[in-house]
Amino acid sequence: MAHAEHAHHITPFRTLLGVFLGLVFLTILTVTTSRLDLGVLDVPVALAIALGKAALVVVFFMALKWDNRVNGVVLALGVLFVSIFLVFTLFDTAFRGDTSNVDEVTIKDAEAELAAPAGDADHGESAPAADH
Amino acid sequence: MSTAKAAHPKLQHHFVSMEQQFDASKFGMWLFLVTEILLFSGMFVAYTVYRVWHPEVFEALSTALDWRLGGVNTLVLLASSFTVALSIHHIQNDNQRAMVINILLTILFAGVFMFIKYLEYSGKFSHGVFPGEAYAPFGDHYGHYADVPYAPQFFSIYFVMTGIHGVHVLIGMGVFAWIAIKGSQGLFSSEYYTPVELTGLYWHLVDIIWIFLFPLLYLI
Repeated sequence: MAHAEHAHHITPFRTLLGVFLGLVFLTILTVTTSRLDLGVLDVPVALAIALGKAALVVVFFMALKWDNRVNGVVLALGVLFVSIFLVFTLFDTAFRGDTSNVDEVTIKDAEAELAAPAGDADHGESAPAADH
Repeated sequence: MSTAKAAHPKLQHHFVSMEQQFDASKFGMWLFLVTEILLFSGMFVAYTVYRVWHPEVFEALSTALDWRLGGVNTLVLLASSFTVALSIHHIQNDNQRAMVINILLTILFAGVFMFIKYLEYSGKFSHGVFPGEAYAPFGDHYGHYADVPYAPQFFSIYFVMTGIHGVHVLIGMGVFAWIAIKGSQGLFSSEYYTPVELTGLYWHLVDIIWIFLFPLLYLI
């Protein structure tokens, strides 16, 4: 509350208009890049542009740039917990079936062997049964 | 700023000054916004899990949604965020009339957004594309999705995410309507515009949610 007496920051019209035009430009950019075939870069590029747009809105429209620092800390904590939520869920779902398997071959290898011609099926069948 | 003058009628007794009251309200609003982020994050995580499991399905189905409608809706929501920011800019300069006009423009843009959303939903419903068990697509554009595995999950995620987002837009429209009425009666000034500021923050967050929904569902 060190600055409790100061007047509120008034964001100039030109700044707001510039941010809006920037957001429109980034929207056109994300549509354009999505229509090119960037291969594996498709998703990262789209997410990077979306993050840039979100940052513009937060910093200028929501005026976090000139706001009390505590509000930025609240937002940062929220983003942190969303990251934890997402990453730790993916630790489970993205590697499901492999982590608790103590067999010599991974489940995925075993599945590939099962799918392969029947001659080699002995070894492959035991692996999925050992898990879960 | 206001402490030296006589107490503002909107100053509640448990606050020292209008400034402190404003800061406390805004802090509370940011805490609420974080709970909103966490609400939507559950759906974004569900989206991510299904996408990691079945990337080819999600990539193929993004073409099932019309990127032109989604793109126009993105521009409309960005414009509405711009008018909200302008309304706060104007009330900080004690221009009540310009504030109300920008709030009304915001409600108009939100209405356009919901109308396009209505067109999208009704187009899908009329071809049997429903969320959950009722999913039974037929017809020109949607029929060939009937046998695509995990297409029902994609459409369920689409309906739930855009649906809950749409409810937030409707709630925002309602609150802005109240602000437009109160603003035209002269309730707000540079001394007291907390409801405009807080609803503006809410509206910008709803905009940010859509900024992520648009590429994830319509583009990639």
